[in-house]
Amino acid sequence: MERTVSRQNTNLMQLVYGKATSTPTTTLNEAQDSSDDEESDGDDFFKPKGEGKKNLGEGFDDGNVNAEDCSKFTNLENLKNWKDEELIQSIRDRFVTGDWQK
Amino acid sequence: MGKTTYKRLKGSQNLRHRLLLATLSSSPILIEDIRADDTLPGLRQHEVSLLRLFDKVSDDCVVEINETGTKLKYRPGIVMGGRHLVHDCGVSRSIGYFLEPLILLGLFANKPLTIRLKGITNDSNDPLVDTFRSTTLPLLKRFGVPSEGLDLKIESRGSPPHGGGEVVLTIPVVQSLNAVTWTDVGMVKRIRGVTFSTRVSSQFENTMIHAARGIFNRFIPDVHIFTDHKAGTQAGSSPGYGISLVAETNAGCFISADMAIAYAREEETGDIEDEKKELMPPEDVGGQIASILLGEIEQGGVVDSTHQGLLFLLCALCPQDVSKIRSAKLSPYGIEMLRHIRDFLGVKFVIKPDPSTGTVILKCIGCGLKNLNRKVS
Repeated sequence: MERTVSRQNTNLMQLVYGKATSTPTTTLNEAQDSSDDEESDGDDFFKPKGEGKKNLGEGFDDGNVNAEDCSKFTNLENLKNWKDEELIQSIRDRFVTGDWQK
Repeated sequence: MGKTTYKRLKGSQNLRHRLLLATLSSSPILIEDIRADDTLPGLRQHEVSLLRLFDKVSDDCVVEINETGTKLKYRPGIVMGGRHLVHDCGVSRSIGYFLEPLILLGLFANKPLTIRLKGITNDSNDPLVDTFRSTTLPLLKRFGVPSEGLDLKIESRGSPPHGGGEVVLTIPVVQSLNAVTWTDVGMVKRIRGVTFSTRVSSQFENTMIHAARGIFNRFIPDVHIFTDHKAGTQAGSSPGYGISLVAETNAGCFISADMAIAYAREEETGDIEDEKKELMPPEDVGGQIASILLGEIEQGGVVDSTHQGLLFLLCALCPQDVSKIRSAKLSPYGIEMLRHIRDFLGVKFVIKPDPSTGTVILKCIGCGLKNLNRKVS
C-alpha cells in the first residue's frame, strides 16, 4: 500500500511537470535578433497539413489542431444518473443533511 | 535600451496563460507557429481582441504581429488600470474568456480598474458572467482581496451569435495576496443559482428550475434559483437561455456549474450548415446542470474544475509562504496552468494524491509577487 501511494505521488508530479530534465513547453531564453530565418526550409514545404501537431492539444472536441483555450471542462457523456439510490447514498455525507455522526 | 530577451514559445494554445503570466512576471514573450498549418492561419479575432485589451489596461506595452498573424511578439508594460474603460470583446468568444485574465491584471494594477465589456455574456465555452459573480469573486476574497470595489454588474445580456450584452467589472488593487491553507471542503449547506433568458419565453426558466430542483430535492431542501428574464434592449440580439448554479459549503467553498444554450455561430471554420440545429430543451438543461453540479461536488475539491487554474495561480502569486489546497482530479486546463506557472514564475507545486478521498493535495511556496505598479498613497 505504502509503495503504491508513493509511486502515484511521483507519477502525478511527472504527469504535470514531465521527467526531471525535459520540459513540455519550449522555454529557451534566447537573445532575439531580427531574423525570420528559421521560417521553413525546403524540406517540409510540402508537408501534409495538420500532421505534425495533432497530438499537441489535450485532444478534446473541436477537431482544432491547436487546443482551444478554455477553462471549462465538463464531459457531458459521463453524466451519472443522480436519481439512482446507490449514487445518492454515495455523496449523501457531502451535504449538511447527511448523516455525519460518524 | 539594450536587447530585449524574449522567452520563445510555440503554438496557439494557452495564449491567455502566457500573456497573463508574461505580464505579471514582466517577461517579454515571442510566440511562433500560431496555427501555421491551419487553413486560416494566425491569431483569431478573440485573441487579437485580448491583445487589445491587455494594451488598453497597460502603459507602454508593445505588441507586434507579423503579416499572417502566425508570429507574435509581446513586451509587457505597466498595468495601469483606471476608470471608464470600454472594451468590445467581439462575438467570437464570450466575455468570460476575457474576464479570467483581466481580474488578475486588475488586482496588480496601478489604479483600481473599472471597465465596461461588451459582447456575449453567456455561452457554452466559457464560464457565464453569473458564475463570475457567484463563485470567482468570492474565491478572490479568500486570498485577501477586499470586497469593497470588487463587483461585476450585468447591465444587459447577449447570447451568441450576435451578442449585445454589457457588463461592468470593478477590481480593487492589492499590494499582495494572502497565502491560504485550504483543505477542508466541508458540507454543502445550500444551493443557489440564477437562470436567464434572452429573446425567448420566460417560461423556459421555470422549466429549467423545476427540472434541476427535482434532482436536488433528494439531497438538500435549501435550493433557491432566481430568474433573470431580459427583454427589449437588455436582451441583446440573439435568443438564448441557460443556468448558473453554485453549491456553498459550510467551510466557505463555492462549487459552480453552468450551462448556456443558444444557436451556434456561423463559424469561420468553413463548415456550412444550412439547417439550424435543434436547441436542447430546457427540461434537459435543468436535469443536466444538476447532474454536472453533483458531479463536481462528488469530486471533492475546494473549487470546481473550471476554477482550478485560477486557484493554482492565486496560490503561486502569494507571498513567500506555504499554501496548501485540496483539489479534485486535475483538469487539462489546470495542468497547463501548473506548467506555465513553473515556466514563468518558477513556482513548482508538490502534488500528492489523497487516495482515501480521491482528491489531490497541492502545496507550494508563493513567488512573492508584490504589486510594484501600485501607487504609494
